[in-house]
Amino acid sequence: MKKSTIQDIKAGAMFALPGLVVFFLVVIIPFVYGFYLTFTDWNGVSQVKSLVGFKNYVDTFKDVEFWSSMWLTLKYVAISVILVNIVAFGLAYLLSNGIKGQNFFRAGFFTPNLIGGVVLGFIWKFIFSNVFTAVGKAVGVDWLSKSMLSAPKTAYFALILVTVWQLAGYMMLIYIAGFTGLSHDVLEAASIDGATGWRRMRSIILPLMVPSFVICIFLTLSRTFMVYDLNLTLTKGGPYASTRLVAMHVYEKAFTARNYGVGQAEALFLFIVVAIISGLQVYVGRKKEVAA
Amino acid sequence: MKQQKVGGTKKIVIDVLLFVLVAVLFVLFMVPFLMTILNSFKVKMDILRDPLSLAPSKGFSLSNYIDAFKKMSYLTAFMNSVIVTGFSTVFVTILSAMCAYYYVRHDNKFSKVCSSLMSASMIIPFQAIMIPLVYIYGAKLGLLNHRATLIFMHTGFAMSMSVFIFQGFIKSNVPLALEEAAKIDGCGRYRTFFQIVFPLLGPTTATLIILNVLAFWNDYLLPSLVLGVKAIKTLPLSTYEFYGTFSADYGLIMAALILTVLPILVIYLVLQKAIISGVVAGAVK
Amino acid sequence: MKSSIKFIAIVLAVMVLFCSCSKKSETATTNTTASTAKVSITLLNSKGEIQTGLEKIAAQFEKDKGIHVEVIACGAGEVPYTKVTTMYNSGNAPTLAILDPTDIVGLAKEYALDLSGEKWVSETDALNLTVDGKIYSFPFCVEGRGIIYNKSAIESVLGRSFDPKSINTYSSFKAILAELRSKGMENPVFLAKEDWSLGAHQLGYIYDAYDGTTAGSEVIINELKAGKNPLDVDRFNQFVDTIDLILEYNFAKADPLGADYDQGALELACGNVAFWPNGCWAWPNLVEGGADANGEFGFISFVLGDDPNDFANTSIQASASKQIMIDRIQASAEQQEAAKEFINYLVFDTTGQKMFVEETALIPAAKNNPNQPLDPLGKDIAERTASGKLYTSCFIAPSDHWSVMGAAMQKYIAGMSDKKELASTLSQYWKAQN
Repeated sequence: MKKSTIQDIKAGAMFALPGLVVFFLVVIIPFVYGFYLTFTDWNGVSQVKSLVGFKNYVDTFKDVEFWSSMWLTLKYVAISVILVNIVAFGLAYLLSNGIKGQNFFRAGFFTPNLIGGVVLGFIWKFIFSNVFTAVGKAVGVDWLSKSMLSAPKTAYFALILVTVWQLAGYMMLIYIAGFTGLSHDVLEAASIDGATGWRRMRSIILPLMVPSFVICIFLTLSRTFMVYDLNLTLTKGGPYASTRLVAMHVYEKAFTARNYGVGQAEALFLFIVVAIISGLQVYVGRKKEVAA
Repeated sequence: MKQQKVGGTKKIVIDVLLFVLVAVLFVLFMVPFLMTILNSFKVKMDILRDPLSLAPSKGFSLSNYIDAFKKMSYLTAFMNSVIVTGFSTVFVTILSAMCAYYYVRHDNKFSKVCSSLMSASMIIPFQAIMIPLVYIYGAKLGLLNHRATLIFMHTGFAMSMSVFIFQGFIKSNVPLALEEAAKIDGCGRYRTFFQIVFPLLGPTTATLIILNVLAFWNDYLLPSLVLGVKAIKTLPLSTYEFYGTFSADYGLIMAALILTVLPILVIYLVLQKAIISGVVAGAVK
Repeated sequence: MKSSIKFIAIVLAVMVLFCSCSKKSETATTNTTASTAKVSITLLNSKGEIQTGLEKIAAQFEKDKGIHVEVIACGAGEVPYTKVTTMYNSGNAPTLAILDPTDIVGLAKEYALDLSGEKWVSETDALNLTVDGKIYSFPFCVEGRGIIYNKSAIESVLGRSFDPKSINTYSSFKAILAELRSKGMENPVFLAKEDWSLGAHQLGYIYDAYDGTTAGSEVIINELKAGKNPLDVDRFNQFVDTIDLILEYNFAKADPLGADYDQGALELACGNVAFWPNGCWAWPNLVEGGADANGEFGFISFVLGDDPNDFANTSIQASASKQIMIDRIQASAEQQEAAKEFINYLVFDTTGQKMFVEETALIPAAKNNPNQPLDPLGKDIAERTASGKLYTSCFIAPSDHWSVMGAAMQKYIAGMSDKKELASTLSQYWKAQN
């Protein structure tokens, strides 16, 4: 017993420590300091700050816009997570069965990830407000010649569309890794047993792919909850603040409205919400994994 | 015999339909890129007047590329990006693989706590640690404006996700028996890890390298906080003066985007082969 | 155990080597600048479009005065105030920062150097921004706004000559819009949908046009804070009338929130519209849209009400929209002196004066600069400066004013809210600032 503890510590120092040290220095310490700031009235720049207790948290609960943007974000996350994963899984499945030009297509669907957030939003804004409208005018379709970004519902949809466009390729890659990790023996045995088509998918493939689902859903959850760059450059929260997601609201609270403590408290709150949701998701997923 | 043939044609029809489906989706996916490439050769007025036009009034020219290349100090910025991305990726890949290996093989309280801490940290909004981060590393330690600091931070921020993905893979795909055999043969821990375990992680490593390289290469916010001096700026930082207060220079931005993306596209295509060969090697064995 | 020590040693060695390497390259670069320059300062630029121009000025300044100025750009999607805040937190505060007046007010007392005693103060008098009676910033440039017209487009539709001075009331503006429509230009005004444009520049008239002074804008703002109903404010009612008129003749009527700034520049430049409410900063974009530097562009007032003698209808608003402050806290005394010298270079040095006008294409706030603006919009403002047809009010609002009220204005121009709702949003915004 004792020997194994020593072994654990020794291995820990050898393997886990270097990475953990970097991680703690870069992520955890600033986070803890940020946590401390939520108890102050700091405005983000002043040299003086004093402790105000839980006032910022009380303000968070009173901030109506925070809650409405949180609700908007929840809907956005739910729709995006579902769509992204359906598209990604579908693509990965299609592109793991030896279709002609498979590698070319894989690379192609992944390319949206080659562009970073700010430029991505800029390009899509251009596509929505210039290219699509030009197409609409050219073919004389009325609804298409209006910019999708100019009405709340369509702008919201535009955000989701771009999210799916970008994340699907990323998740596809992970699903493909999952598919290639599936043992050939199992699949062969299954097809010898006569399991084909939907049955093969439902009773063999899906259970075996649970780990990939857990990872992908977790990643999509965290990515979509945090979305900021895209929100800022694509819709800027508009039209008339109808698409302002929670990360953007937090950012504006902290910096534009110069209320750093409240912004930080809201960020922490957001963190907790996401932690609970994704924690549950991983927990349920892992349980399924064990059962399978 | 006959039936088999029917099955054959049916399969062909399905294959063709699937191919068409994928191809159509592919074209839709590519629209933004095609538009970017097309318009990167036009002047701003033509871009705004008709982004679809194949015969712009001022014609097509390379001038956006030449301007962007100069204004970005492309070669310097490119080298900076390569250094930052390269080192960060190497560090994070090795450190996270080791970390994940420990978590899986030593399933004790310590690794459980650390592992869940890491997973949780993936959902910390970056804005929530941005100010404390620059305060600690800038005002307190005076470490900003060094590429090494950025590499260090990139490594720290990317740890969680890499560990998370490696962990899942090691758990399900690396047989313990191999390691035990190596141990009996008298291999040290590091030798066991680097010679036996790490090579088995091939496909996942390749995937993670791609994801991390992309994240580092394109990252804007963190480098903008760390690198203030022009001489050490990375590619994304060097393009931002193309965005004015009121209006942006579309042609320049598109050309700059393509100049930024091209090197990474090459890396991706090269690595993609590596993934496949990794998988093939696994199958042969 | 041995192998683990070895491994850690190697990792450490690589890291140390690497850090020292990158440090070396850095000291190398600072050394080379140090050989030609003794002091090195930084300048945060929040006006992306003049980045190249500023770098050229900085290079010339280094040649002339031996001081190195590193121009730091504030990038896409970065709020200048956030940028400067982060830089202060990171201990890398810019020696000089070009910022909006609102941001200067926010930072002045704690961080900015008192510049009240500088020589240029008398050259920029009316445009100086005072905070508690002191001047903490140098008025960098003058920007004016109103309704930009394209004279040749108007004349070719009307078939007669057009005198911009004749548009000095709501009714006269309405009349010419109707005339343009009757002669074939269906919708002669372009209204851009950007929130900064709608929220700060257009809606801002209700404060700036109070009596044309910054002090006056404070009076109306304080009244609103105290709970005065905007519907009882004359300027608010006049403003909404004019906006309604513009919406009636809006080029982008079918999709008001699809009309962006770039399109506005394009449509005005090529004469598809006659008027575009915007500012002198739009000139480079008009050129990109195909406007000719000799073209006849200029400003009419953003008309408010029907009194032809009202200053708001005879003059346009122009103020020092960007100010430069010098850091008092983190910069050394030597750097602060160098920063002052840079400002003096822009104001008093003949090369500096000339480069300022030519490289940035901005209108200098200092009246001793003999170089005339090169473009029609700048020329119009210069003429108005000479003839006194300007009012210099520059309202100071909290930093989220433009985004909150910009959203409310967007809702209004999209027809999703009415005057009453706009008024109540405005009223609530100000009441919440108490």
